[in-house]
Amino acid sequence: MEVTFWGVRGSIPSPGPATVRYGGNTSCVSVRLSDGEVIIIDCGTGARNLGISLLGTAFGRGEGSATVLLSHAHWDHIQGFPFFGPFYVPGNRFTIVGGSHGSELLERVLERQMAAQFFPVQSYRNMGAHIEMRALSEDRAATVGQAKITAYPNPHGPTLALAFRIEAQGKSLVYASDVGYGEGGPSEAAVALYRGADLLIHDCTFTPEDRSRRITRGLSSLDDAVEAALRAQVKRLALFHYDQDYSDHDVDGLVARGRRLLDERGARALEILGAAEGLTLSL
Amino acid sequence: MRVRFWGVRGSLPVPGARTERYGGNTSCVEITSAAGTRIIIDGGTGIRRLGKDLMRAEFESGKGQAHILISHTHWDHIQGLPFFAPFYREGNRLFVYARQRDDQNLRSVFASQADAPFFPVSFDSTRANVSFRELHDGAKFEIEDMRVATTRLNHPHVATAYSIAADGARVAYVSDTAPFSDILFGQEFLSGPSSPRAQPSKADKAKLKSMAAAVVRLCEGADLVIYDTMYTANEYRQFPHFGHSRPSDAIEVCREAGVKTLALFHHAPDRSDAEVDAVLEAARAQGARESKKLEILASYEGLDLSLGKV
Repeated sequence: MEVTFWGVRGSIPSPGPATVRYGGNTSCVSVRLSDGEVIIIDCGTGARNLGISLLGTAFGRGEGSATVLLSHAHWDHIQGFPFFGPFYVPGNRFTIVGGSHGSELLERVLERQMAAQFFPVQSYRNMGAHIEMRALSEDRAATVGQAKITAYPNPHGPTLALAFRIEAQGKSLVYASDVGYGEGGPSEAAVALYRGADLLIHDCTFTPEDRSRRITRGLSSLDDAVEAALRAQVKRLALFHYDQDYSDHDVDGLVARGRRLLDERGARALEILGAAEGLTLSL
Repeated sequence: MRVRFWGVRGSLPVPGARTERYGGNTSCVEITSAAGTRIIIDGGTGIRRLGKDLMRAEFESGKGQAHILISHTHWDHIQGLPFFAPFYREGNRLFVYARQRDDQNLRSVFASQADAPFFPVSFDSTRANVSFRELHDGAKFEIEDMRVATTRLNHPHVATAYSIAADGARVAYVSDTAPFSDILFGQEFLSGPSSPRAQPSKADKAKLKSMAAAVVRLCEGADLVIYDTMYTANEYRQFPHFGHSRPSDAIEVCREAGVKTLALFHHAPDRSDAEVDAVLEAARAQGARESKKLEILASYEGLDLSLGKV
Protein backbone atom coordinates (compact mmCIF):
# COMPACT_ATOMS: atom_id res chain seq x y z
CA MET A 1 0.00 0.00 0.00
CA GLU A 2 1.38 3.37 -1.05
CA VAL A 3 0.07 6.58 0.51
CA THR A 4 0.69 10.02 -1.06
CA PHE A 5 -0.21 13.41 0.38
CA TRP A 6 -1.54 16.03 -2.09
CA GLY A 7 -3.04 18.52 0.35
CA VAL A 8 -2.37 18.69 4.10
CA ARG A 9 -3.87 22.05 5.06
CA GLY A 10 -7.14 22.79 6.88
CA SER A 11 -9.88 25.37 6.29
CA ILE A 12 -8.58 27.28 3.27
CA PRO A 13 -5.62 26.99 0.89
CA SER A 14 -2.74 29.11 2.13
CA PRO A 15 -0.33 29.93 -0.70
CA GLY A 16 2.86 31.84 -0.01
CA PRO A 17 6.54 31.50 0.81
CA ALA A 18 5.80 30.46 4.42
CA THR A 19 4.02 27.23 3.40
CA VAL A 20 6.13 26.01 0.48
CA ARG A 21 7.70 23.05 2.28
CA TYR A 22 4.64 21.36 3.86
CA GLY A 23 2.30 22.83 1.24
CA GLY A 24 -0.74 25.09 1.25
CA ASN A 25 -3.34 22.91 -0.50
CA THR A 26 -6.36 21.61 1.40
CA SER A 27 -6.95 17.97 2.29
CA CYS A 28 -6.36 15.21 -0.24
CA VAL A 29 -4.60 11.85 0.16
CA SER A 30 -4.26 9.07 -2.39
CA VAL A 31 -3.76 5.38 -1.71
CA ARG A 32 -2.49 2.96 -4.31
CA LEU A 33 -3.00 -0.71 -3.49
CA SER A 34 -0.67 -3.39 -4.81
CA ASP A 35 -3.48 -4.69 -7.05
CA GLY A 36 -3.53 -1.27 -8.74
CA GLU A 37 -6.73 0.01 -7.09
CA VAL A 38 -6.71 3.76 -6.41
CA ILE A 39 -8.50 5.20 -3.39
CA ILE A 40 -8.68 8.95 -2.88
CA ILE A 41 -9.49 10.37 0.54
CA ASP A 42 -11.06 13.85 0.45
CA CYS A 43 -11.03 16.30 -2.42
CA GLY A 44 -9.53 19.58 -1.18
CA THR A 45 -7.47 21.68 -3.61
CA GLY A 46 -4.70 19.05 -3.43
CA ALA A 47 -6.93 16.95 -5.71
CA ARG A 48 -5.95 19.19 -8.61
CA ASN A 49 -2.30 18.09 -8.50
CA LEU A 50 -3.32 14.46 -7.90
CA GLY A 51 -5.48 14.73 -11.03
CA ILE A 52 -2.61 16.11 -13.08
CA SER A 53 -0.45 13.19 -11.92
CA LEU A 54 -3.16 10.59 -12.71
CA LEU A 55 -3.70 11.99 -16.22
CA GLY A 56 -0.27 10.55 -17.03
CA THR A 57 -1.67 7.05 -16.38
CA ALA A 58 -4.75 5.08 -17.54
CA PHE A 59 -6.90 8.01 -16.33
CA GLY A 60 -5.54 10.13 -19.20
CA ARG A 61 -6.86 7.56 -21.69
CA GLY A 62 -10.28 7.21 -20.09
CA GLU A 63 -9.43 3.79 -18.71
CA GLY A 64 -9.03 4.66 -15.05
CA SER A 65 -11.21 3.88 -12.09
CA ALA A 66 -11.00 5.01 -8.50
CA THR A 67 -12.96 5.25 -5.28
CA VAL A 68 -13.24 8.62 -3.55
CA LEU A 69 -13.92 8.60 0.20
CA LEU A 70 -15.31 11.86 1.60
CA SER A 71 -14.91 12.47 5.33
CA HIS A 72 -17.46 15.31 5.30
CA ALA A 73 -18.57 18.17 3.05
CA HIS A 74 -16.82 21.23 4.47
CA TRP A 75 -15.27 23.25 1.61
CA ASP A 76 -11.68 22.32 2.36
CA HIS A 77 -12.57 18.66 1.74
CA ILE A 78 -14.55 19.06 -1.50
CA GLN A 79 -13.32 22.27 -3.19
CA GLY A 80 -10.86 20.41 -5.45
CA PHE A 81 -13.66 18.27 -6.91
CA PRO A 82 -14.39 20.63 -9.85
CA PHE A 83 -10.66 20.81 -10.68
CA PHE A 84 -9.86 17.09 -10.68
CA GLY A 85 -8.79 16.46 -14.29
CA PRO A 86 -9.71 12.74 -14.56
CA PHE A 87 -13.39 13.62 -13.92
CA TYR A 88 -13.34 15.30 -17.34
CA VAL A 89 -12.12 12.27 -19.32
CA PRO A 90 -14.99 10.15 -20.68
CA GLY A 91 -14.49 6.48 -19.90
CA ASN A 92 -13.06 6.98 -16.42
CA ARG A 93 -15.21 5.56 -13.63
CA PHE A 94 -15.49 6.87 -10.09
CA THR A 95 -17.42 5.84 -7.04
CA ILE A 96 -17.79 8.55 -4.45
CA VAL A 97 -18.47 7.22 -0.97
CA GLY A 98 -19.64 9.57 1.75
CA GLY A 99 -21.78 10.10 4.83
CA SER A 100 -24.67 8.07 6.03
CA HIS A 101 -27.51 10.37 5.02
CA GLY A 102 -28.13 8.69 1.69
CA SER A 103 -26.62 9.07 -1.74
CA GLU A 104 -29.17 11.68 -2.80
CA LEU A 105 -27.85 14.09 -0.23
CA LEU A 106 -24.26 13.39 -1.23
CA GLU A 107 -25.21 14.12 -4.80
CA ARG A 108 -27.03 17.33 -3.85
CA VAL A 109 -24.01 18.53 -1.87
CA LEU A 110 -21.51 17.98 -4.68
CA GLU A 111 -23.97 19.25 -7.26
CA ARG A 112 -24.48 22.51 -5.40
CA GLN A 113 -20.78 23.26 -5.65
CA MET A 114 -21.05 22.85 -9.43
CA ALA A 115 -24.13 25.09 -9.80
CA ALA A 116 -24.08 27.77 -12.49
CA GLN A 117 -23.74 30.74 -10.15
CA PHE A 118 -20.55 29.21 -8.69
CA PHE A 119 -18.90 27.21 -11.49
CA PRO A 120 -19.27 27.22 -15.27
CA VAL A 121 -19.59 23.44 -15.67
CA GLN A 122 -22.99 23.61 -13.89
CA SER A 123 -23.31 19.87 -13.07
CA TYR A 124 -21.06 16.92 -12.38
CA ARG A 125 -22.98 15.20 -15.17
CA ASN A 126 -21.27 17.60 -17.60
CA MET A 127 -17.81 16.47 -16.52
CA GLY A 128 -17.48 13.46 -18.81
CA ALA A 129 -16.46 10.58 -16.55
CA HIS A 130 -18.93 8.14 -15.06
CA ILE A 131 -19.44 9.27 -11.45
CA GLU A 132 -21.54 7.25 -9.06
CA MET A 133 -22.47 8.48 -5.59
CA ARG A 134 -22.84 5.94 -2.85
CA ALA A 135 -23.68 6.48 0.80
CA LEU A 136 -22.01 4.15 3.28
CA SER A 137 -24.14 1.22 4.28
CA GLU A 138 -25.49 0.82 7.82
CA ASP A 139 -22.50 -1.21 8.96
CA ARG A 140 -20.19 1.50 7.60
CA ALA A 141 -18.09 -1.03 5.74
CA ALA A 142 -17.18 -1.34 2.08
CA THR A 143 -14.85 -3.31 -0.16
CA VAL A 144 -12.62 -1.89 -2.89
CA GLY A 145 -10.74 -4.61 -4.75
CA GLN A 146 -8.84 -6.46 -2.06
CA ALA A 147 -9.18 -3.64 0.43
CA LYS A 148 -11.59 -3.61 3.32
CA ILE A 149 -12.79 -0.15 4.30
CA THR A 150 -14.46 0.68 7.59
CA ALA A 151 -15.57 4.07 8.84
CA TYR A 152 -16.50 5.75 12.08
CA PRO A 153 -18.20 9.15 12.49
CA ASN A 154 -16.13 11.32 14.83
CA PRO A 155 -17.51 14.50 16.39
CA HIS A 156 -16.51 17.61 14.43
CA GLY A 157 -17.97 20.71 16.08
CA PRO A 158 -21.69 20.82 15.32
CA THR A 159 -21.37 18.03 12.76
CA LEU A 160 -19.63 14.69 12.19
CA ALA A 161 -16.66 13.68 10.06
CA LEU A 162 -15.95 10.13 8.99
CA ALA A 163 -12.65 8.51 9.92
CA PHE A 164 -11.65 5.74 7.52
CA ARG A 165 -9.61 2.56 8.00
CA ILE A 166 -8.28 0.87 4.88
CA GLU A 167 -6.89 -2.65 5.23
CA ALA A 168 -5.22 -4.60 2.46
CA GLN A 169 -2.59 -7.34 2.38
CA GLY A 170 -2.04 -7.20 6.10
CA LYS A 171 -1.36 -3.47 6.16
CA SER A 172 -3.62 -0.81 7.56
CA LEU A 173 -4.04 2.92 7.09
CA VAL A 174 -6.32 5.17 9.15
CA TYR A 175 -7.39 8.68 8.11
CA ALA A 176 -8.92 10.68 10.95
CA SER A 177 -9.13 14.35 10.01
CA ASP A 178 -11.39 17.07 11.40
CA VAL A 179 -11.94 15.57 14.83
CA GLY A 180 -12.97 17.46 17.94
CA TYR A 181 -12.94 14.91 20.75
CA GLY A 182 -14.79 15.54 23.98
CA GLU A 183 -12.95 15.94 27.26
CA GLY A 184 -12.12 12.26 27.54
CA GLY A 185 -10.27 12.24 24.21
CA PRO A 186 -11.04 9.72 21.46
CA SER A 187 -14.02 7.45 22.09
CA GLU A 188 -13.56 3.69 22.53
CA ALA A 189 -15.08 3.16 19.09
CA ALA A 190 -12.63 5.61 17.50
CA VAL A 191 -9.69 3.92 19.24
CA ALA A 192 -10.99 0.56 18.00
CA LEU A 193 -11.00 1.87 14.43
CA TYR A 194 -7.44 3.22 14.77
CA ARG A 195 -6.06 0.21 16.69
CA GLY A 196 -2.63 -1.00 15.62
CA ALA A 197 -2.65 0.89 12.31
CA ASP A 198 0.61 0.94 10.37
CA LEU A 199 -0.10 4.59 9.67
CA LEU A 200 -2.51 6.95 11.42
CA ILE A 201 -3.09 10.24 9.57
CA HIS A 202 -4.57 12.41 12.29
CA ASP A 203 -5.96 15.91 12.48
CA CYS A 204 -3.41 18.20 14.11
CA THR A 205 -4.84 21.62 13.25
CA PHE A 206 -3.60 23.40 16.36
CA THR A 207 -1.06 23.56 19.11
CA PRO A 208 -2.78 22.74 22.43
CA GLU A 209 -2.69 26.46 23.30
CA ASP A 210 -4.39 27.52 20.07
CA ARG A 211 -7.00 24.77 20.33
CA SER A 212 -8.04 25.88 23.80
CA ARG A 213 -8.98 29.25 22.31
CA ARG A 214 -10.94 27.72 19.43
CA ILE A 215 -12.56 24.74 21.07
CA THR A 216 -15.90 25.10 19.23
CA ARG A 217 -14.22 24.53 15.87
CA GLY A 218 -14.24 20.78 16.53
CA LEU A 219 -10.64 20.22 15.50
CA SER A 220 -7.67 18.47 17.13
CA SER A 221 -4.53 19.67 18.78
CA LEU A 222 -1.16 17.97 18.78
CA ASP A 223 -2.08 16.49 22.19
CA ASP A 224 -5.22 14.89 20.72
CA ALA A 225 -3.27 13.35 17.84
CA VAL A 226 -0.59 11.98 20.17
CA GLU A 227 -3.18 10.67 22.64
CA ALA A 228 -5.11 8.89 19.88
CA ALA A 229 -1.90 7.33 18.50
CA LEU A 230 -0.80 6.13 21.95
CA ARG A 231 -4.14 4.67 22.98
CA ALA A 232 -4.57 2.87 19.67
CA GLN A 233 -0.93 1.72 19.70
CA VAL A 234 -0.38 2.66 16.07
CA LYS A 235 3.05 2.23 14.47
CA ARG A 236 3.34 5.58 12.74
CA LEU A 237 1.58 8.95 13.22
CA ALA A 238 1.32 11.55 10.46
CA LEU A 239 0.19 15.00 11.62
CA PHE A 240 -2.30 16.53 9.18
CA HIS A 241 -4.72 19.42 8.44
CA TYR A 242 -2.55 22.25 9.75
CA ASP A 243 -4.08 25.64 10.53
CA GLN A 244 -3.91 28.01 7.56
CA ASP A 245 -1.78 30.48 9.50
CA TYR A 246 0.91 27.97 10.49
CA SER A 247 4.21 28.43 8.66
CA ASP A 248 6.59 25.60 7.77
CA HIS A 249 8.56 26.60 10.84
CA ASP A 250 5.45 26.27 13.04
CA VAL A 251 4.76 22.78 11.65
CA ASP A 252 8.39 21.78 12.30
CA GLY A 253 7.70 22.85 15.87
CA LEU A 254 4.58 20.66 16.09
CA VAL A 255 6.49 17.61 14.89
CA ALA A 256 9.40 18.19 17.31
CA ARG A 257 7.04 18.75 20.22
CA GLY A 258 5.09 15.61 19.28
CA ARG A 259 8.33 13.62 19.29
CA ARG A 260 9.12 14.86 22.81
CA LEU A 261 5.61 14.01 24.04
CA LEU A 262 5.87 10.47 22.68
CA ASP A 263 9.32 10.00 24.22
CA GLU A 264 8.07 11.21 27.59
CA ARG A 265 5.28 8.65 27.39
CA GLY A 266 7.80 5.92 26.64
CA ALA A 267 6.70 5.43 23.02
CA ARG A 268 10.10 5.76 21.41
CA ALA A 269 9.25 3.22 18.72
CA LEU A 270 6.19 5.17 17.58
CA GLU A 271 7.30 7.20 14.60
CA ILE A 272 5.88 10.72 14.12
CA LEU A 273 6.07 12.86 11.01
CA GLY A 274 4.47 15.94 9.53
CA ALA A 275 2.42 15.17 6.41
CA ALA A 276 3.76 17.21 3.49
CA GLU A 277 2.57 17.68 -0.08
CA GLY A 278 4.33 15.24 -2.38
CA LEU A 279 5.38 12.86 0.41
CA THR A 280 4.79 9.17 -0.38
CA LEU A 281 4.88 6.49 2.32
CA SER A 282 5.00 2.78 1.59
CA LEU A 283 3.31 0.48 4.07
CA MET B 1 -5.76 56.57 -4.54
CA ARG B 2 -3.99 53.43 -3.46
CA VAL B 3 -4.46 50.06 -5.19
CA ARG B 4 -3.22 46.90 -3.46
CA PHE B 5 -3.34 43.39 -4.88
CA TRP B 6 -4.15 40.57 -2.42
CA GLY B 7 -5.00 37.78 -4.88
CA VAL B 8 -4.23 37.65 -8.62
CA ARG B 9 -4.93 34.03 -9.56
CA GLY B 10 -7.87 32.57 -11.47
CA SER B 11 -9.89 29.34 -11.04
CA LEU B 12 -8.50 28.11 -7.73
CA PRO B 13 -5.75 28.91 -5.27
CA VAL B 14 -2.42 27.33 -6.20
CA PRO B 15 0.02 27.15 -3.30
CA GLY B 16 3.58 26.02 -3.90
CA ALA B 17 7.08 27.01 -4.88
CA ARG B 18 6.10 27.59 -8.53
CA THR B 19 3.80 30.49 -7.64
CA GLU B 20 5.71 32.04 -4.78
CA ARG B 21 6.56 35.28 -6.56
CA TYR B 22 3.26 36.24 -8.23
CA GLY B 23 1.20 34.50 -5.56
CA GLY B 24 -1.34 31.67 -5.53
CA ASN B 25 -4.38 33.34 -3.94
CA THR B 26 -7.53 33.97 -5.96
CA SER B 27 -8.85 37.40 -6.93
CA CYS B 28 -8.94 40.28 -4.49
CA VAL B 29 -7.94 43.94 -5.00
CA GLU B 30 -8.23 46.75 -2.44
CA ILE B 31 -8.69 50.38 -3.50
CA THR B 32 -8.57 53.19 -0.95
CA SER B 33 -8.99 56.92 -1.47
CA ALA B 34 -6.80 59.55 0.16
CA ALA B 35 -9.78 60.36 2.41
CA GLY B 36 -9.83 56.73 3.61
CA THR B 37 -12.85 55.30 1.74
CA ARG B 38 -12.24 51.61 1.17
CA ILE B 39 -13.43 49.51 -1.78
CA ILE B 40 -12.54 45.83 -2.11
CA ILE B 41 -13.12 44.15 -5.46
CA ASP B 42 -13.83 40.42 -5.22
CA GLY B 43 -13.48 38.03 -2.30
CA GLY B 44 -11.17 35.26 -3.52
CA THR B 45 -8.78 33.69 -1.00
CA GLY B 46 -6.65 36.85 -1.11
CA ILE B 47 -9.26 38.60 1.04
CA ARG B 48 -8.25 36.48 4.05
CA ARG B 49 -4.90 38.25 4.40
CA LEU B 50 -6.50 41.61 3.65
CA GLY B 51 -8.91 40.89 6.52
CA LYS B 52 -6.02 40.17 8.86
CA ASP B 53 -4.36 43.39 7.76
CA LEU B 54 -7.56 45.37 8.42
CA MET B 55 -7.92 43.84 11.89
CA ARG B 56 -4.76 45.69 12.87
CA ALA B 57 -6.67 48.97 12.67
CA GLU B 58 -10.26 50.18 13.18
CA PHE B 59 -11.87 46.89 12.10
CA GLU B 60 -10.50 45.23 15.25
CA SER B 61 -12.51 47.59 17.43
CA GLY B 62 -15.63 47.24 15.28
CA LYS B 63 -15.31 50.69 13.76
CA GLY B 64 -14.34 49.70 10.23
CA GLN B 65 -16.25 50.26 7.05
CA ALA B 66 -15.64 48.72 3.61
CA HIS B 67 -17.49 48.30 0.34
CA ILE B 68 -17.05 44.92 -1.38
CA LEU B 69 -17.78 44.91 -5.11
CA ILE B 70 -18.21 41.42 -6.56
CA SER B 71 -17.52 40.88 -10.28
CA HIS B 72 -19.48 37.59 -10.25
CA THR B 73 -20.05 34.70 -7.88
CA HIS B 74 -17.81 31.99 -9.34
CA TRP B 75 -15.90 30.39 -6.45
CA ASP B 76 -12.55 32.04 -7.14
CA HIS B 77 -14.19 35.43 -6.57
CA ILE B 78 -16.07 34.69 -3.34
CA GLN B 79 -14.41 31.71 -1.62
CA GLY B 80 -12.38 33.88 0.75
CA LEU B 81 -15.38 35.74 2.19
CA PRO B 82 -16.09 33.26 5.03
CA PHE B 83 -12.48 33.85 6.13
CA PHE B 84 -12.68 37.66 6.10
CA ALA B 85 -12.19 38.47 9.78
CA PRO B 86 -13.99 41.88 9.81
CA PHE B 87 -17.32 40.03 9.23
CA TYR B 88 -17.02 38.51 12.68
CA ARG B 89 -16.56 41.74 14.67
CA GLU B 90 -19.63 43.57 15.88
CA GLY B 91 -19.89 47.16 14.74
CA ASN B 92 -18.06 46.83 11.44
CA ARG B 93 -20.14 47.96 8.49
CA LEU B 94 -19.72 46.02 5.27
CA PHE B 95 -21.58 46.68 2.06
CA VAL B 96 -21.62 43.98 -0.63
CA TYR B 97 -22.45 44.90 -4.22
CA ALA B 98 -23.07 42.53 -7.11
CA ARG B 99 -25.15 42.18 -10.22
CA GLN B 100 -28.85 41.61 -9.72
CA ARG B 101 -29.96 38.08 -10.44
CA ASP B 102 -33.32 36.93 -11.65
CA ASP B 103 -33.55 33.67 -9.76
CA GLN B 104 -31.99 34.27 -6.36
CA ASN B 105 -31.41 37.29 -4.20
CA LEU B 106 -27.85 38.26 -3.51
CA ARG B 107 -27.88 37.62 0.20
CA SER B 108 -28.97 34.00 -0.30
CA VAL B 109 -26.21 33.37 -2.86
CA PHE B 110 -23.61 34.48 -0.32
CA ALA B 111 -25.35 32.95 2.67
CA SER B 112 -25.47 29.55 0.98
CA GLN B 113 -21.66 29.47 0.95
CA ALA B 114 -21.72 29.49 4.74
CA ASP B 115 -24.53 26.92 5.13
CA ALA B 116 -24.21 23.45 6.53
CA PRO B 117 -22.82 21.09 5.35
CA PHE B 118 -20.21 23.32 3.69
CA PHE B 119 -19.09 25.66 6.46
CA PRO B 120 -19.38 25.60 10.25
CA VAL B 121 -20.26 29.27 10.77
CA SER B 122 -23.60 30.32 9.32
CA PHE B 123 -23.85 33.68 7.59
CA ASP B 124 -26.54 34.80 10.02
CA SER B 125 -24.08 34.50 12.86
CA THR B 126 -21.62 37.01 11.41
CA ARG B 127 -21.56 39.89 13.86
CA ALA B 128 -20.79 42.81 11.55
CA ASN B 129 -23.54 44.86 9.98
CA VAL B 130 -23.65 43.49 6.40
CA SER B 131 -25.90 44.92 3.72
CA PHE B 132 -26.33 43.95 0.11
CA ARG B 133 -26.89 46.12 -2.90
CA GLU B 134 -27.98 44.59 -6.19
CA LEU B 135 -26.73 46.35 -9.31
CA HIS B 136 -28.26 46.52 -12.75
CA ASP B 137 -25.99 46.47 -15.80
CA GLY B 138 -24.42 49.88 -16.37
CA ALA B 139 -25.20 51.16 -12.85
CA LYS B 140 -23.31 54.30 -11.77
CA PHE B 141 -23.15 55.36 -8.14
CA GLU B 142 -21.03 57.07 -5.53
CA ILE B 143 -19.38 55.63 -2.48
CA GLU B 144 -18.36 58.59 -0.33
CA ASP B 145 -15.69 60.36 -2.40
CA MET B 146 -15.33 57.52 -4.96
CA ARG B 147 -17.34 57.36 -8.17
CA VAL B 148 -18.18 53.87 -9.42
CA ALA B 149 -19.31 52.89 -12.92
CA THR B 150 -20.15 49.37 -14.13
CA THR B 151 -20.69 47.48 -17.32
CA ARG B 152 -21.56 43.92 -18.26
CA LEU B 153 -18.82 41.46 -19.26
CA ASN B 154 -18.84 38.43 -21.53
CA HIS B 155 -18.57 35.49 -19.15
CA PRO B 156 -20.59 32.35 -18.31
CA HIS B 157 -23.43 33.46 -16.01
CA VAL B 158 -22.33 37.09 -16.68
CA ALA B 159 -19.77 39.19 -14.79
CA THR B 160 -19.53 42.91 -14.02
CA ALA B 161 -16.63 45.29 -14.71
CA TYR B 162 -16.08 48.25 -12.39
CA SER B 163 -14.36 51.59 -12.79
CA ILE B 164 -13.51 53.65 -9.73
CA ALA B 165 -12.55 57.31 -9.82
CA ALA B 166 -11.19 59.33 -6.91
CA ASP B 167 -8.34 61.69 -6.09
CA GLY B 168 -8.02 62.67 -9.76
CA ALA B 169 -7.25 59.10 -10.84
CA ARG B 170 -9.23 56.20 -12.24
CA VAL B 171 -8.84 52.44 -12.13
CA ALA B 172 -10.92 49.83 -13.98
CA TYR B 173 -11.31 46.15 -13.03
CA VAL B 174 -12.25 43.98 -16.02
CA SER B 175 -12.40 40.36 -14.83
CA ASP B 176 -13.65 37.83 -15.79
CA THR B 177 -14.38 38.19 -19.48
CA ALA B 178 -13.94 36.46 -22.81
CA PRO B 179 -13.08 38.57 -25.85
CA PHE B 180 -16.07 40.14 -27.58
CA SER B 181 -15.68 38.27 -30.84
CA ASP B 182 -16.39 34.55 -30.78
CA ILE B 183 -19.05 33.57 -28.25
CA LEU B 184 -21.79 35.51 -26.49
CA PHE B 185 -22.00 34.04 -23.01
CA GLY B 186 -25.20 33.73 -21.08
CA GLN B 187 -26.65 31.21 -18.65
CA GLU B 188 -26.34 28.00 -20.68
CA PHE B 189 -23.57 25.42 -20.40
CA LEU B 190 -21.11 25.22 -23.30
CA SER B 191 -19.46 21.83 -23.52
CA GLY B 192 -16.58 22.75 -25.81
CA PRO B 193 -15.17 24.92 -28.54
CA SER B 194 -17.16 23.06 -31.18
CA SER B 195 -20.46 24.18 -29.72
CA PRO B 196 -22.85 25.54 -32.33
CA ARG B 197 -22.81 28.76 -30.32
CA ALA B 198 -19.14 29.18 -31.25
CA GLN B 199 -20.17 31.07 -34.37
CA PRO B 200 -22.15 34.03 -33.13
CA SER B 201 -25.36 34.91 -34.92
CA LYS B 202 -25.83 38.39 -36.37
CA ALA B 203 -27.82 39.40 -33.31
CA ASP B 204 -25.14 38.03 -30.96
CA LYS B 205 -22.45 39.84 -32.93
CA ALA B 206 -24.27 43.12 -32.50
CA LYS B 207 -24.62 42.53 -28.76
CA LEU B 208 -20.93 41.66 -28.45
CA LYS B 209 -19.99 44.79 -30.35
CA SER B 210 -21.97 47.05 -28.06
CA MET B 211 -20.61 45.21 -25.00
CA ALA B 212 -17.06 45.78 -26.25
CA ALA B 213 -17.77 49.47 -26.88
CA ALA B 214 -19.13 49.84 -23.33
CA VAL B 215 -15.99 48.20 -21.89
CA VAL B 216 -13.79 50.62 -23.87
CA ARG B 217 -15.90 53.54 -22.56
CA LEU B 218 -15.54 52.25 -19.01
CA CYS B 219 -11.73 52.15 -19.42
CA GLU B 220 -11.50 55.46 -21.32
CA GLY B 221 -8.50 57.42 -20.05
CA ALA B 222 -8.00 55.18 -17.01
CA ASP B 223 -4.68 55.33 -15.19
CA LEU B 224 -4.83 51.60 -14.53
CA VAL B 225 -6.84 48.75 -16.03
CA ILE B 226 -6.77 45.36 -14.29
CA TYR B 227 -7.77 42.82 -16.95
CA ASP B 228 -8.49 39.08 -17.08
CA THR B 229 -5.63 37.73 -19.22
CA MET B 230 -5.80 34.13 -18.10
CA TYR B 231 -5.03 32.56 -21.47
CA THR B 232 -2.25 32.54 -23.99
CA ALA B 233 -3.35 32.55 -27.65
CA ASN B 234 -2.89 28.78 -27.79
CA GLU B 235 -4.91 28.10 -24.67
CA TYR B 236 -7.69 30.36 -25.90
CA ARG B 237 -8.00 28.29 -29.08
CA GLN B 238 -8.50 25.18 -26.90
CA PHE B 239 -10.82 26.73 -24.32
CA PRO B 240 -12.79 29.62 -25.85
CA HIS B 241 -15.87 28.35 -24.01
CA PHE B 242 -14.52 29.06 -20.50
CA GLY B 243 -14.89 32.82 -20.86
CA HIS B 244 -11.40 34.30 -20.43
CA SER B 245 -9.20 36.66 -22.47
CA ARG B 246 -5.62 36.85 -23.75
CA PRO B 247 -3.19 39.71 -23.20
CA SER B 248 -3.79 40.76 -26.82
CA ASP B 249 -7.49 41.32 -26.04
CA ALA B 250 -6.59 43.50 -23.06
CA ILE B 251 -4.04 45.47 -25.09
CA GLU B 252 -6.63 46.15 -27.78
CA VAL B 253 -9.14 47.53 -25.26
CA CYS B 254 -6.45 49.59 -23.50
CA ARG B 255 -5.15 51.03 -26.75
CA GLU B 256 -8.63 52.07 -27.89
CA ALA B 257 -9.38 53.54 -24.47
CA GLY B 258 -6.08 55.41 -24.16
CA VAL B 259 -5.20 53.67 -20.90
CA LYS B 260 -1.89 54.45 -19.13
CA THR B 261 -1.13 51.14 -17.46
CA LEU B 262 -2.47 47.62 -18.02
CA ALA B 263 -2.14 45.08 -15.22
CA LEU B 264 -2.36 41.48 -16.43
CA PHE B 265 -4.56 39.65 -13.92
CA HIS B 266 -6.32 36.35 -13.11
CA HIS B 267 -3.28 34.27 -14.03
CA ALA B 268 -4.03 30.66 -14.97
CA PRO B 269 -3.51 28.20 -12.11
CA ASP B 270 -0.95 26.25 -14.14
CA ARG B 271 1.18 29.31 -14.84
CA SER B 272 4.48 29.22 -12.94
CA ASP B 273 6.28 32.42 -11.98
CA ALA B 274 8.70 31.99 -14.90
CA GLU B 275 5.78 31.47 -17.26
CA VAL B 276 4.04 34.64 -16.03
CA ASP B 277 7.34 36.44 -16.68
CA ALA B 278 7.27 35.12 -20.24
CA VAL B 279 3.62 36.12 -20.77
CA LEU B 280 4.48 39.61 -19.53
CA GLU B 281 7.49 39.89 -21.80
CA ALA B 282 5.46 38.85 -24.85
CA ALA B 283 2.65 41.25 -23.91
CA ARG B 284 5.12 44.11 -23.53
CA ALA B 285 6.60 43.37 -26.94
CA GLN B 286 3.14 43.41 -28.49
CA GLY B 287 2.14 46.49 -26.52
CA ALA B 288 5.24 48.35 -27.71
CA ARG B 289 4.31 47.58 -31.34
CA GLU B 290 0.70 48.65 -31.00
CA SER B 291 0.69 51.48 -28.52
CA LYS B 292 3.79 53.46 -27.53
CA LYS B 293 2.15 54.93 -24.45
CA LEU B 294 0.76 51.81 -22.81
CA GLU B 295 2.70 50.43 -19.87
CA ILE B 296 2.14 46.78 -19.01
CA LEU B 297 2.78 44.93 -15.76
CA ALA B 298 1.78 41.55 -14.36
CA SER B 299 -0.21 41.71 -11.12
CA TYR B 300 1.34 40.03 -8.12
CA GLU B 301 0.33 39.59 -4.50
CA GLY B 302 1.60 42.56 -2.54
CA LEU B 303 1.72 44.94 -5.53
CA ASP B 304 0.91 48.38 -4.12
CA LEU B 305 0.28 51.24 -6.58
CA SER B 306 -0.38 54.90 -5.91
CA LEU B 307 -2.44 56.81 -8.48
CA GLY B 308 -3.26 60.53 -8.51
CA LYS B 309 -3.41 62.18 -5.10
CA VAL B 310 -2.59 59.83 -2.23
